Amino acid sequence: MTSLWQNVRSSRLVVVLSLAFTILFSTNSFAQPDGKKLFKANCSSCHTATDKKITGPGLKGVLDRIPSGDWKYNWVRNSAEVIKSGDAYAAKILAENGGAAMTAFPRLSNEEIDAILDWAHKGDVIVGPTGPTGPVEQAEEETNPWFLIAIIIGILLILITTLRYARIHMQNAVREKEGLSEEPAAPFMEASRTWVNNNKKLVALLGVLFFGWLVVKGWYAAKGVGVYAEEVKPGKWEGYHPSQPINFSHKIHANDNAIQCQYCHSTVEKSKTASIPSAMICMNCHKGIQETATPGSKEEIAKIYTATGFDPATNAYTNTPVPLQWNKVHVLPDHVFFSHQQHVVVGAVACETCHGDVKAMGTVEQQRPLTMGWCVDCHRNTPLKMEGNGYYTELHEKMKEKYKGQPITVAMAGGIECGRCHY
Amino acid sequence: MANQTKYWKGLAHLNNDTAVAEKNGKEFAEYIPVEEFVGDKSTLEANTSRRDFLKFLGFSTVAATLAACEAPVTKAVPYVNRPEEITPGVANWYASTFFDGHDYASILVKTREGRPIKIEGNSLSKLNGSGTNARTQASVLSLYDSTRLRNPKMKAGNAWSDKTWDEVDGAIAEKLNASKGIAIISSTIISPSTMRAIGDFKNKYKNVQHVMYDAISYAGVIKAHASSHGKAMIPTYNFDKADVIVGIGCDFLGNWLTGGEAERQYGMTRKVSADKKTMSKHYQFESQLSLTGANADERTPVKPSQYGAIALGLLHEVGGEGVAPTVAADAVKKAGAALKAANGKALVVCGSNDPAIQLIVNAINKATGAYGSTINTSIEDFTHQGDDAAMKKLVENISSVDTVIFYNANPVYTAPKALGFEAALKGVSTKISFASHVDETAALCDFILPDHNYLEAWGDHMPRTGQYSLQQPAIRPLFSTRHAQESFIKWSGGSKDYLSYVKETWSGMQSMQSNFGDFNAFWINVVRDGVFEGMPAAAPVAEEKKVVKEEPKTDSAKADAAPVATATAGSIVFIGGTISMDEAKSQIAATKGGKYEVNIYTKTSMGSGNQANNPWLQEMPDPISKITWDNYVTMHPLDAKEMSLFGMEDETMMVRFDQMEDNLDMVNVTVNGHTVKLPVWIQPGQAKGTIGIALGYGRKGFNEYVDNIGANMYPAIGMSAGGTMVYSGDAAMTKVEGETYRIAATQTHHTMMGRNDDILRETTLAAYKTDDRAGNPLNTMHTYKGEQLTEEVSLWNDFERPNHKWGMAIDLNSCLGCGSCVVACTIENNVPVVGRDEIRKSREMHWLRIDRYYSSDTVKEVAETTGEMGTMEMYRHMESPTFDNPKVAFQPIMCQHCNHAGCETVCPVIATTHSNEGLNQMTYNRCVGTRYCANNCPYKVRRFNWFNYVEYHRFKGLNPAQDDIGRMVLNPDVTVRARGVMEKCSMCSQRIQAGKLDAKKAGTKIVDGAIKTACQQACPTDAIIFGDLLDVNSQVSKMEQDGRKFEVLENVGSRPSVFYMTKVWNRDDANATI
Repeated sequence: MTSLWQNVRSSRLVVVLSLAFTILFSTNSFAQPDGKKLFKANCSSCHTATDKKITGPGLKGVLDRIPSGDWKYNWVRNSAEVIKSGDAYAAKILAENGGAAMTAFPRLSNEEIDAILDWAHKGDVIVGPTGPTGPVEQAEEETNPWFLIAIIIGILLILITTLRYARIHMQNAVREKEGLSEEPAAPFMEASRTWVNNNKKLVALLGVLFFGWLVVKGWYAAKGVGVYAEEVKPGKWEGYHPSQPINFSHKIHANDNAIQCQYCHSTVEKSKTASIPSAMICMNCHKGIQETATPGSKEEIAKIYTATGFDPATNAYTNTPVPLQWNKVHVLPDHVFFSHQQHVVVGAVACETCHGDVKAMGTVEQQRPLTMGWCVDCHRNTPLKMEGNGYYTELHEKMKEKYKGQPITVAMAGGIECGRCHY
Repeated sequence: MANQTKYWKGLAHLNNDTAVAEKNGKEFAEYIPVEEFVGDKSTLEANTSRRDFLKFLGFSTVAATLAACEAPVTKAVPYVNRPEEITPGVANWYASTFFDGHDYASILVKTREGRPIKIEGNSLSKLNGSGTNARTQASVLSLYDSTRLRNPKMKAGNAWSDKTWDEVDGAIAEKLNASKGIAIISSTIISPSTMRAIGDFKNKYKNVQHVMYDAISYAGVIKAHASSHGKAMIPTYNFDKADVIVGIGCDFLGNWLTGGEAERQYGMTRKVSADKKTMSKHYQFESQLSLTGANADERTPVKPSQYGAIALGLLHEVGGEGVAPTVAADAVKKAGAALKAANGKALVVCGSNDPAIQLIVNAINKATGAYGSTINTSIEDFTHQGDDAAMKKLVENISSVDTVIFYNANPVYTAPKALGFEAALKGVSTKISFASHVDETAALCDFILPDHNYLEAWGDHMPRTGQYSLQQPAIRPLFSTRHAQESFIKWSGGSKDYLSYVKETWSGMQSMQSNFGDFNAFWINVVRDGVFEGMPAAAPVAEEKKVVKEEPKTDSAKADAAPVATATAGSIVFIGGTISMDEAKSQIAATKGGKYEVNIYTKTSMGSGNQANNPWLQEMPDPISKITWDNYVTMHPLDAKEMSLFGMEDETMMVRFDQMEDNLDMVNVTVNGHTVKLPVWIQPGQAKGTIGIALGYGRKGFNEYVDNIGANMYPAIGMSAGGTMVYSGDAAMTKVEGETYRIAATQTHHTMMGRNDDILRETTLAAYKTDDRAGNPLNTMHTYKGEQLTEEVSLWNDFERPNHKWGMAIDLNSCLGCGSCVVACTIENNVPVVGRDEIRKSREMHWLRIDRYYSSDTVKEVAETTGEMGTMEMYRHMESPTFDNPKVAFQPIMCQHCNHAGCETVCPVIATTHSNEGLNQMTYNRCVGTRYCANNCPYKVRRFNWFNYVEYHRFKGLNPAQDDIGRMVLNPDVTVRARGVMEKCSMCSQRIQAGKLDAKKAGTKIVDGAIKTACQQACPTDAIIFGDLLDVNSQVSKMEQDGRKFEVLENVGSRPSVFYMTKVWNRDDANATI
């Protein structure tokens, strides 16, 4: 209980802070020419825009080094061709980089290549977390109510005990004064019972309140597990936002850098699971990008290196990999069969429909209820995508005849039958 | 004409025993001790007030609420580096081979996230095709056996200690170098590379002899062919080409050579349709009702000692130099005439290991022209090369050997007592075993070097001349095990890993084909296909042959010299010698049986017993007796009476059947000096004066849960003078007084209402030829409108089927009852294993059961001819068949997916519903376990989870899911059911959904046959056909239109989606009205 709450609390804080930072530092990206974006999209897995060499050479000051003229266009579009032609400089850089050939980018235009190289030539500046550059939105410190309650209960207990003993002592003092013998204090349980007997109304009231609280809690808990799902209020699963081993921001990746969801969740169109990417997918880019302008990025990215056993100093996978243990956000019960490819490929459902506006999230939180009622509602309201799919041809004809102009929903074709998801 | 046959599932059922009748009336046969659950008597009597009840209620509300507040944090741990070929959630299939010395199958291994979870047949294979037998299906569990050895072990004193591979290699090298004589005892090896590795080993250590020794010997067949054809071999039998098949004591459908091929071919000859109204005719002579005998058109019970006389009689009848039949003369004459008339399309097979009988059988096959037609001698079968005589010789000369290496052989368990193997082994100073458990033999060894499981190992196989298959690993080794071959290579001074070694062997085979010029391309193709065909050019082999032949030191080594060449050159090494026809005849003439003769046989489920620790196989009911988890003595009722078993002293009381299964009398059986104590099972169809006991039980060395199940019968095997194993003999029996045994038999469990043609329909080929609907009259009902077809009468409206209507056809003609589907279903659907105790309470969980029905000869038509029509006598005869020889029919029953289902209407929580595709859906998470549905199911196919089988300690060791490693075999696409919910066949709804999704993604209609249910896929004879009934071109739609189609209990009006095809018998006797 506590750990969950703490997770939620701390992660929220981190998210809000990191959101604030990313908003601050990403604003200037719009002022940059295309070069930076193109570089990030095409080049950054092998090159940096600094002096640092990763798979390929660092490209800072590149325009000073390379032959002038069209050489750069030819090289980028098809380096193998240039090498084949016996170009001296090409041979030289090939040798310098251990004979690793560069991927060809035949689709880049001259302008784009110029933009990339101009930007890389100037060099990227790693902006560190150098003090506040603007008002930082401070997250409100959320306090764990259980902790509070425990403190209150503790204080009350101390108070009650103190008062009880004070009362006993004072009573004894009075008795002593009156010349009576000291009366032994009644045992605690007996005393409590006496107190309860004397304050029946109060106890009853407390009992009713407690029961009411339980009922409310129980109601939401029941909703949370999907028993009554028509109108799930935010409260249980929506907003579930666990902390993650890496403070990974979908906003930076999916929004700012416009990386497609499928780049990392690569099996979404092939399998029932979209799959959480293996750490090596991160390394496609982060082998090069070891630090970004986002404060704390270096430490977070370093966690990928720990996970994959990568040693940035030697640029090699020499350490023992330690698999990452992510906290699953969108959890369906084991008795539900959900297929991503069914929804994404056949149904052409957008990721956002079930996962919410992930592009705006830092670490992911659950925005949709994902209860059975919610699923069923969608199946009742979503038209079945039958056009152009040979599988549905006959069904489509039959349904058109039957429903005559009405939209044909997934449910009409049997999409809310138990056996479609539970087996 | 309606079929008047009365069907019965067991003797108790036949006699309508009160206990059984009562059981059949209930879905839950066992008394349910509700009161014991609630508490003792005082609790029940205690006065629980309303206030107390409210208190409990309040407390549970609080507890439930608090429990629900906290959601467990679910972890997701992705790959650090996802292997390219693995897509989480998508299965990969790898072609491989299963060969354990008993069964051979070319297989496809289904893996999920790198874990093998299911075995299917490789349709490219010419041997087994896409079907597999139960043992092959179940073998996947052997990989996840957590009792497998995890390290090499060395014995010091009497204690085992774990060692590293280097340590044992060092210790063994010392021993080998100092050794004066080394013997390798293996089961049959059909792997060219393994033979090469052993060849290398022989070259290094000159004093090596290699003996192939099989638990179940075919030496008799080999010797007979050595005598009749001048070449020690087992030919290939083509049952599919035979019109007349005669089996003499041969269970070729359950256990014969490769274990599966005969079944497939035989099934092909049994299929009939409106276009093909011919089928094979099968005569069977056997002592005990076997799976094969149960499928025979004409079965004659005889004693094992009479097999020879039968063979000689047949030989005489087909025109050979036999002896006029004396035993079962009528049947032999009929079979002989049929064989003769078959014009070469005849086949006689015999299960006896007696070379004399086998020689006569060869003579019959020669006389009928079977050689060259149904028997192919140019393609040899290498799967059983065991040479009993060589083993005997080794034991006799054991003093010349000081090191023994056991590879995939367990002779301490499987050798006959007469061989004296265990005693001989004591004198050997160094014993090395490659066993994966401390089994009976390994326990006596000094070193155990656990071999990989077959799913972890590379390998190659040549089961037949020119037919190769490759074995590729589907998972990395789970434990620190090693290829046995690698050990041989290492000890011979080599350093290659086994994969490169296998590749090296195969580089020599590239020349056998012309499609691939490049070895890598050839190799990749073979790895993908799993099978390869090519006739050997015998090039690289000759060289090795020469090397070995130069070096023979001892007699036995000389005899053994050729095995290096065996697998690649294609010849069996055999020192058993030959036998002449005259010798054979005089031996047969001299054969005399005692009062009781025993038939030692292998069960369809257990085989040779090397998978005895597999709970799936233990729990699979025997096809005939329907007994699980035990072996037993099968006996004729009159013999039982003679022995005063089951209280049958009273003349008037033939058999006392009430609760017979619960109180089996025990007997001590002594055969060949070996005594076992086993319960007696009265088996209809057992020849009088014979008993049957199965091999493969009484194993040791696994764990407390599966050790010592049943009794070991191997020591009772006899040895002939010529050294071959004899699987029959005289038995002495004494009743064990005052002891009974409650056996776990499922034969009367889940008995449906009705015993007539509303359950099962049969006809004869003759009748079917004239009438498509023979034996299958339309079902009608009396209504106010007059006689109406049952299918037109209903209370209910029909469901709409907009897209699909799934249906299943089961052809009772090609269903042989082998039970492969039962195991396949168990694996595919995570069906829990419940163990012997629960089965005794009728609580087996199998979604798919095979009902085995016996029936009598007497029907009304017969009564008309005998003048008994309408008399009490007639009814008595109808219900009391000759025990000697009842007719048998098998009927697989799973959820019938009724279109007007009884279960759906009574569920109070709507947990079982109907889909618009015709499926009866069971939603586990909705089920509250009222069990009304099961009570209302006329087919009795619903199963209730009485316990949490995956966690409750009572099922530890039985249920694979209880084990951290065993759990990996579970199918991740199917929910593991919790306690208190009902479950049943879903028609593999996970496969249907996957198939639909594939079609949707491809944008095409579902191709007929693209979706296969697990039972259908495993079926060796394609008796189960699944498909879409809305697709008029699908196979299942066509079968629905066939005249043989009938529905079980059609008169109930449940409109099942599963239907059956009338069983057609090729019987020609006058009494054969069905």
